[in-house]
Amino acid sequence: MRDLGAEPPPSEQQSTGRLFSDVGAWRAILLAGLAVTLAFVVTALPIMVSGRNPLLAYWALLRGAVGSVDAVAFAFNKSTPYVLSAVGVAICFRARVINIGSEGQLAVGGVAASWIALHLSQLPSLLLIPVSLVAGGVAGAVWACIAAVMRIKRGVHEVLGTLMLNFVGTLVVSEVLHGTMGEPGAGFPQSPLFPQSAWLPSLFPGTDMHVGIAIAVAAVVATHILFWHTPFGFRLRLLGSGDNVAAYAGASLVRGMLQVMLIAGGLAGIAGAIEVLGVHYRLIEGFSQGFGFNAVAIALLAALNPLAVLPAGLFFGFLEAGALAMQREIGVPSSLVFVIQGLTMIFVLCAMGVGFKQQRI
Amino acid sequence: MLEMRGICKRYGTVQANRNIDLTVPQGRILGLLGENGSGKTTLMKVLFGMVAADAGTIIFKGRPLTDHRPGDAIAAGIGMIHQHFMLVDAMTVAENVMLGWKRAGLWLHTREISQLIRNASKTYGLDLDPNAVVGDLSLGQRQRVEVVKAILRGADLLILDEPTSNLSPPEVAGLFLVMRRLRNEGRSVIFISHKLGEVLEICEEVVVLRDGEVTGQCLAANATRSDLARMMVGRDISALVQRPAFESRKEILSVDRLTLRDRSGFERLRDITFSLNEGEILAIAGVDGNGQAELVDVIAGLKSATSGRISLAGQEITSEDVRARLTAGIAYIPADRATTSLVPGMTIEDNLGLRDFDRPPLRRGAWLNRVAFRREANSRIAKFGILCAGPNALVQTLSGGNQQKIVVAREIGRRPSVLIAFQPTWGLDPGATRFVIDEVLSLCHGGGAVLYVSSELEEVLTLGDRIGVMFNGRLSRVFGRGEVDMTRMGLMMAGHDEGPDREDGGKS
Repeated sequence: MRDLGAEPPPSEQQSTGRLFSDVGAWRAILLAGLAVTLAFVVTALPIMVSGRNPLLAYWALLRGAVGSVDAVAFAFNKSTPYVLSAVGVAICFRARVINIGSEGQLAVGGVAASWIALHLSQLPSLLLIPVSLVAGGVAGAVWACIAAVMRIKRGVHEVLGTLMLNFVGTLVVSEVLHGTMGEPGAGFPQSPLFPQSAWLPSLFPGTDMHVGIAIAVAAVVATHILFWHTPFGFRLRLLGSGDNVAAYAGASLVRGMLQVMLIAGGLAGIAGAIEVLGVHYRLIEGFSQGFGFNAVAIALLAALNPLAVLPAGLFFGFLEAGALAMQREIGVPSSLVFVIQGLTMIFVLCAMGVGFKQQRI
Repeated sequence: MLEMRGICKRYGTVQANRNIDLTVPQGRILGLLGENGSGKTTLMKVLFGMVAADAGTIIFKGRPLTDHRPGDAIAAGIGMIHQHFMLVDAMTVAENVMLGWKRAGLWLHTREISQLIRNASKTYGLDLDPNAVVGDLSLGQRQRVEVVKAILRGADLLILDEPTSNLSPPEVAGLFLVMRRLRNEGRSVIFISHKLGEVLEICEEVVVLRDGEVTGQCLAANATRSDLARMMVGRDISALVQRPAFESRKEILSVDRLTLRDRSGFERLRDITFSLNEGEILAIAGVDGNGQAELVDVIAGLKSATSGRISLAGQEITSEDVRARLTAGIAYIPADRATTSLVPGMTIEDNLGLRDFDRPPLRRGAWLNRVAFRREANSRIAKFGILCAGPNALVQTLSGGNQQKIVVAREIGRRPSVLIAFQPTWGLDPGATRFVIDEVLSLCHGGGAVLYVSSELEEVLTLGDRIGVMFNGRLSRVFGRGEVDMTRMGLMMAGHDEGPDREDGGKS
């Protein structure tokens, strides 16, 4: 008996496509580039309507992003927390755990790191910085686990849990800044400046670019390896495929959810620590704003592929860095960059949905 | 009524349909016979508008059908009942019928539709309750919901794609009755199947497809099984396996008073007791929905029983989880390939390691041993003859038969002491079915024990050394092979049991 072999994949079965399919990574990159270009073209319309020249605006954007060494350093710094939180969110989504709590996890991570930096300042830099980062990670992990435990014990959906904990986390920051960690006499809720020993060293001396990006890259690579090459990652992929098959293969939903939330929370917490130790050099109110949802957006843009989170996160970071320059020089509001980000996402998702083979799970 | 001429369809390198002509007159039951991959499903998809043909014409009731979508086909009077039902589990029967139907109105006329369903139910003997939630219905009942959907939308031509895969003999007879009533009203039915016996029984005319071409066309009255089989496969299918008489051996699995109450308190398993010996096949028949799924899930470890005990080789395993039972030697082929035993989106290699990824050799310390994955995959692919583009191909690109080969290769390939097979040949063509049965038998010859749960009565009667029937959560008396025949089995499956033998355990 001869089977006709490959049954053609019925077209009604396509869901999310895959950005880097076997057919061609080049084709995927081309489509991503096309999506970005289209987003810029469409955003040019409101710029023109407001009476400004979009080409000049984009030129300012470009220069703001990569025009000088300082600009590039600034952009990398901006990208770091995005990449870190997004890669955690990506593997959560892969395991069908909808974690949108990066903001809260980042916030408490910053609090923990600040506490260490302020209270253990007698430690030498070589110890102080790693300990602060670890503290941030632990705090973020614990924060994420609260939502996970609520889901496991009480059935509170993690979307709700993580979302609410975002607000709580941000308020925790405000609370400590108005209390124990606040700088007396400052006009703005902020902590005292950290001792220099706590500041993140820069990756390239003479620039503002701190080591955070190196940590982010390491996290991306580690997550990729963890996801594809370990039994732990295999289990996550099973959890993401469905309850039935996960149970059949012996993958525990409870353990999987806890583990993946720990990782995502930890990464977001480290991102928060990096923000306070490397960018602001203190804890300031509202430093965690906006990171949560952007993390989700970047993770989706990367088609939940850990490695692809790096370029996606860099894209977002560089865009935002350039947007501030665009606002300064041309007067185009920097919030327009959110339009570009959103449109890029939509177009990339459209490109992924059209005609690609099913994403490899 | 229907005339299809010169239909061609190509998927990449595969020519699924080659110049196919098909004519269906009014008031005719036509059988479309062919193995998996012969092109019959593609042909029907073309007819129904789900897929566009590369070439060819379709004329239905005198009007051409071109560039049509399923909505146009339904409006023209073609109804299709798929092998895999297109129903929403969370909704009621009435709601499913109303889905996508303009007649249901902007403000849903639920009562009116429910009455229509009840009427059609009575006319055609479908026995459907419009308020029942589809998720609670058995597969046979769900199929009847699909039938009522098609009938209420006024289908003049009904296409049934492998409709009897999960029906008991009484239910199949019921379906045939419905089909005859439709035919008597002047409607036509296309009955797609690979079951020769049924096709000969119900169809008036038979068209045989092989490799995308029509290889034979004849009236059912003039054809024999072997004629059809030859047209279908190109060679004679040898008679089903003969089993030697079974001598008693050591007991390997013991199930004692297993009871399972589900969340609503309903008893799905009632006091199930039986034992399984090494090298033996205990075949359990029964209409889908009488507790078989729960029984196999409980023994495999996916569900916990409310009370009762399970022992493997003398050790009690009642509270052990899936992994522990796997290590202890229980293999499980579930009925549902797409969402339980396989991950369609994963590669073949990964699917072959689905249950063992956590242990050596597939695991080396904290890492997955990719080399071992590849090696195991290649050897299994070769040994079990899995047709694929390589171990890195996604499982969803394979045909149903090959997908099941992967599950079999994985579960039987580890030489378990007990294999639980639940509907292992569901949806498979004769060639693939033969393969699965051969593998099960070779496992037995090697000393493994098999719990074979299936609604395919023929398989149960031929394979089982001992045979039981499940009805309403209870296991009947277990018979030796040769002590029962199809008729008696059919009765037991419908719940008509003879007297005091009922509660007898299965200890041999």
